[in-house]
Amino acid sequence: MKIGRGALILILIIAVWLTFTLAAGVSAEPAGQQMGVSLIGNVIDAQNQPVFEAQVQLLQENEVIAEGLTQGDGSYRLTLPAQVGDNLVLRVERQHFETTTIDIAADDFAQLAPDEAVTLPTIELQRKITIAFWVATLVFLGMLLLIALEKLHNVLAALTGVSLVLGISYLGKPLIEDLFIFDFTRALQYVDWNVIFLIMGMMIVIAVVEGTGLFHWLAFFAYRVSRGKAWLLMAILMVITAVASAFLDNVTTMLLMTPITVQIALALGLNPLTLLIPEVLASNVGGIITLIGTPTNILIGSYADIPFSGFLSNLSPGVFISLIGLFIYCLIAYRKDLFHATSGVSPVLLEKLEENARITEPANLAKVGWVGLGMLGLFLVGEHFHLIPAVTAILGATALLIWIRPDVEEMIEAVDWTTLVFFMALFIVVGGIQEVGLISFLAQWVASLVGENLPLAMIIVIWVSALFSTIVANIPFTAAMLPVVGYLTNTVPGATSLALFFCLSVGSAMGGNGSLIGASANMVTAGIAERAGYPISYAYFLRKGMPALFITVALSMVWLLLRF
Amino acid sequence: MGGILCPIRGGPGSRGALAAGITLAKENQETLHFLYIVNLDFLNLTERGRTQVISDEMRGMGEFILLRAQAMAEKDGVEAQWTVRQGNVTEEIMAMAKEIQASHIILGKPKHEEQNVFTMERMQTFVQHLEEQTGAKVVLAEPGGAE
Repeated sequence: MKIGRGALILILIIAVWLTFTLAAGVSAEPAGQQMGVSLIGNVIDAQNQPVFEAQVQLLQENEVIAEGLTQGDGSYRLTLPAQVGDNLVLRVERQHFETTTIDIAADDFAQLAPDEAVTLPTIELQRKITIAFWVATLVFLGMLLLIALEKLHNVLAALTGVSLVLGISYLGKPLIEDLFIFDFTRALQYVDWNVIFLIMGMMIVIAVVEGTGLFHWLAFFAYRVSRGKAWLLMAILMVITAVASAFLDNVTTMLLMTPITVQIALALGLNPLTLLIPEVLASNVGGIITLIGTPTNILIGSYADIPFSGFLSNLSPGVFISLIGLFIYCLIAYRKDLFHATSGVSPVLLEKLEENARITEPANLAKVGWVGLGMLGLFLVGEHFHLIPAVTAILGATALLIWIRPDVEEMIEAVDWTTLVFFMALFIVVGGIQEVGLISFLAQWVASLVGENLPLAMIIVIWVSALFSTIVANIPFTAAMLPVVGYLTNTVPGATSLALFFCLSVGSAMGGNGSLIGASANMVTAGIAERAGYPISYAYFLRKGMPALFITVALSMVWLLLRF
Repeated sequence: MGGILCPIRGGPGSRGALAAGITLAKENQETLHFLYIVNLDFLNLTERGRTQVISDEMRGMGEFILLRAQAMAEKDGVEAQWTVRQGNVTEEIMAMAKEIQASHIILGKPKHEEQNVFTMERMQTFVQHLEEQTGAKVVLAEPGGAE
């Protein structure tokens, strides 16, 4: 039986997921046996975050008499032997942390019955900078650099990072113990499978939508409604791309919109960039309003447990205001082209345009519409019965596959495995810098800057993420920022409303408008435009995009400050 | 000989090649063959993979660009045909030139800002290679102005 490449990768992903789940299950077993009095407690780091898999040992005269590992919540439980003497020491060890010991007075539990427990004070472990810290940091920065300088395909850059982090951990440890960053099981625990399965499910749905001709029809509809008025055409196309980007990913939206937009612009005698740049800017802004609109929102939603309705209700007013600001800016920036457009479409070109703008699979489009509505409903109400978005996406994708009955092999092949592999590799590389403590140091530094001032924290998060996203790929940047923002959410008063995560969402996505490399959607738009003879240089995008960044981020920031 | 091959991408950069192709086709009374090559290498800069749908989209755009060029050529009384192919640009130009037994291949020169020594050297090497491989004479057209 022939098994396709996609199917093999799917099987591999599920196998790895099961391995991870089983491994997590094993490590979650409480250590020690229920023999006598127990010592219980918690181990945290300097950011008040639980420390997982720290080894906790109780020593008597330097001999280990009880030991165990901390759980995911940082808790531990040691069961002591029936007879315990004096001079007890509790030792807590964990890779990348300083070993901590505390003296225990045996009198504290001498009078207790065997099934009773003593709760010890919470132990705070201090980070230790080892050579592994620098290795993981350099690997992460190297990956960002390779992506930013376009020296390697994103996936290859991320896989190189994974290979280095794991290779050095395994091969370097026998030579220098401090080179160890983490093992494979621990690395897999950093992969957010909710994100992977949500993206995969949505890709299947998108693969069906892609083939229906919906975007061509929408673009041609915009052309007809605008009746040759270029400014109106631009406005309608901006709305279409913004809304489409909220429900599909930005890259797919622009991959489908750009070719037909080029054709419409040429037919109207317009420079295609007059329509393409506003479209891609609107795409980067519009995607923010839903959980599934941008990869960064998927990352943020999964990490901070923000539901679909959370993004919609907290971000859509700000995005709406930003889009209005963006439209006015684009009208001014392209006024010469928009208000002096030549018209006159040759019958041959118009015929071709209409031919390209047909809904090619109306029956499938109707089915996608019904399933899409069902998915939207589940995304919105699912939070009330703990239905995670990844499950909704998989349910929708499966329903669509069963209803439409396409060639399953083709559909599996349509799933963009490069993106999924990129995300998995990225999670591991970012996990490396989390493991060695870089993120903790960063979080502490940011926390010392903002103190207890929520508005200041919001402004810093939104602008730092926006400006960083113009120079580094926003997906790895957001993945690295999540624990930092998570820490600030716990420490800054009032931030438990998740305001800082919404700031990260706005900053990282709208920041993509600041430069050509700021968002993948920009690069695919530039790639297609270049192949139509209209190259978009880095400087050109910077000139048009940077003002758009400042306008849209500022407007959204005002909204968020008012909202929270 | 079967005609004049004019690979174009559209846009201001192709206007010179288009005009030169039309002039030469008129002079030689030959058919003008426009060629658009779908190349998805730009996806290497993103994490997005290549799919049939993306190829089809680019093909559709290429057809539109060539139809526009064909209309311009026919307006000048030149018979023009067009083909969209996918793959490596150099290989596809050579293959098409051999298929139609082209007498000439019209290529657009790099724009002024790109005309450094390195680019021109590469261009000359490329022209020489094309002529050797196809037997067609390569004509370098000046880039057109803004559109």
